[in-house]
Amino acid sequence: MNPSNLLPTQNLTMGCPVLDRCLGGGIPCNSLTELVAESSCGKTQFCLQLTLFAQLPPSHGGLSASSLYLHTEFPFPFRRLRHLSHSFRSSHANLILSNPREDVYVHAVHDAHHLLDIMPKIECFVASRKTRLPVRLIVIDSIAALFRSEFGNNPLDLKRRSFLFFEISGMLKLLARKYSLAVVVMNQVVDFMGEVEGISGMRVGNLSSLRSSGRRVCPALGLAWSRCVNSRLFLFRNEEIVGRENDGLEDDLFRQTRRRLDVVFAPHLPPSSCEFVITKQGVFGVDR
Amino acid sequence: MEVGRLPLSASQRGKLISAGYTTLASLSSISPSDLARDLKVPESEAFEMLKVAKLGCGLEQPDKHTAIVNGAQTAWDILNEEKLLPRITTSCADLDKILGGGINCKEVTEIGGVPGIGKTQLGIQLAVNVQIPVDCGGLGGKAVYIDTEGSFMVERTLQIAEASVVNWSSYSELLWKESQACRVEIQPTDILEKIYYFRICTSTEQIALINYLDQFISEHKDVKIVIIDSVTFHFRQDFEDFALRNRLLGGMALKLMNLGKKYNLAVVIFNQVTTKCTEGSFQLSLALGDSWSHCCTNRVILYWNGDERNAYIDKSPSLRSASASFSVTSGGIRNSASKHKRIRVM
Repeated sequence: MNPSNLLPTQNLTMGCPVLDRCLGGGIPCNSLTELVAESSCGKTQFCLQLTLFAQLPPSHGGLSASSLYLHTEFPFPFRRLRHLSHSFRSSHANLILSNPREDVYVHAVHDAHHLLDIMPKIECFVASRKTRLPVRLIVIDSIAALFRSEFGNNPLDLKRRSFLFFEISGMLKLLARKYSLAVVVMNQVVDFMGEVEGISGMRVGNLSSLRSSGRRVCPALGLAWSRCVNSRLFLFRNEEIVGRENDGLEDDLFRQTRRRLDVVFAPHLPPSSCEFVITKQGVFGVDR
Repeated sequence: MEVGRLPLSASQRGKLISAGYTTLASLSSISPSDLARDLKVPESEAFEMLKVAKLGCGLEQPDKHTAIVNGAQTAWDILNEEKLLPRITTSCADLDKILGGGINCKEVTEIGGVPGIGKTQLGIQLAVNVQIPVDCGGLGGKAVYIDTEGSFMVERTLQIAEASVVNWSSYSELLWKESQACRVEIQPTDILEKIYYFRICTSTEQIALINYLDQFISEHKDVKIVIIDSVTFHFRQDFEDFALRNRLLGGMALKLMNLGKKYNLAVVIFNQVTTKCTEGSFQLSLALGDSWSHCCTNRVILYWNGDERNAYIDKSPSLRSASASFSVTSGGIRNSASKHKRIRVM
């Protein structure tokens, strides 16, 4: 056994310089990053964008790599991927010569045990050189859906569930270490009932409370899963009233959806936050 | 002291060692005739050898107190030794105060907390602070960092190292205003080179590495701190059989304690919190169970108090229970910026 050399970690760009600045360069390789959000906040958009930008060469922030997308929620958004890949290809015409969608590999996963079963297959796939570009990004969408159906709320089931968390994240981290992959895992939120003020054992990370769409939430899967990931990013949306128009008897309120990305915890990032928008071309950060 | 260092002839040394007398302690209570019989030398020669051994022993202990039981140390000797060892600072004055000056060598300190509270940051800060040059009041040693979770980031370490070098330079300038020879000439990349980083991915690797550490540290004698971040990760999954897990953990803890005592280094172990189900309610406690909690010398728990990070001395044979707040900045661990009374004694 020898001590390993301390080499700088490679980062995978998010595709937008504002978001990259917030994340210290992008999603780091060799570690497990979690994206927590309630539904329709833009998690899938982020991940689809990552799979495309991974194909760029390292000089442009990518990894020259193909990606493996494991999805649990059907159907896989093929149409959106097609739109994104068209605009991606046109904006990076000189760097991407073939169809970008050919370097995104998609596999369906039904539940946690199925994921454990296909781990050896995933390792073979990553290790083999059969893909045009080596696989350097694995996306799991979403990890919460794998666990929500078969485990009840009693201590025995929760313990069994925790064992699976550690096993799955252990294997993912082993793969990440061995093949220098970036692993992105998506998680859902649940409503949070409990005290936040004062000395609280339940607070994890920089934000004392996570709020989305006006309600207080916390990431699904609990404290045990929080330990399994290296970094956690929180996406949320809020409706804001940006203008009023007095139209006769009633006031028309103009509402706008504001979306933000927050760093909940990461070993290499200060607590930072960034606003973003989702357009036809993809996800872009906004400097405000 | 080793027999090999005594001023005896090489053949005499060889005879002593092959007969099994490797330390002075083994020679101190034997009579010349027994030694002569064991080594097959004339008794006068054995007598001479013992005289040299006693002289060597005598030079080691300038004060008049000699050990009554050979091979043991008196508490007075131990106290003197402890006073000579500087402690490893955490760069936060309040935290150092409740720790009695910093992390102590020869002790196993366990630090636990929820994810995101700053355990890895504290670990990186300690790995950098152990390298504080002796001129600035530090240990000038190297660090072994064992990473089980993959949370060690080189960029962050470089950031902390750069901030530390600036601190040390300004400190040494304050201390030695006239003499230019004590200027700190360390580069941040030198600091990175003195951290031996091991990444382990399974529980078997963890056990194997701890077994190997003895050999590694005997080859790299200037390692002064071993940081394990965190000890729980792999032991929370693979083991269905808790008895086996406890045995393995106990063995590991014993090895780490012996390592600390033998090579005079500090061992810092990071632990996670978990929810314990007691009588239907869920409480937070440190992971790995009650039997593990006996294995460490000191125990520090990190927790959130509103928006502040706090540290609490949970168990220690010599420190009183107190809590202090600290913050994590871009330069590492520092004092908390809040105006409240920082140190609370329980």
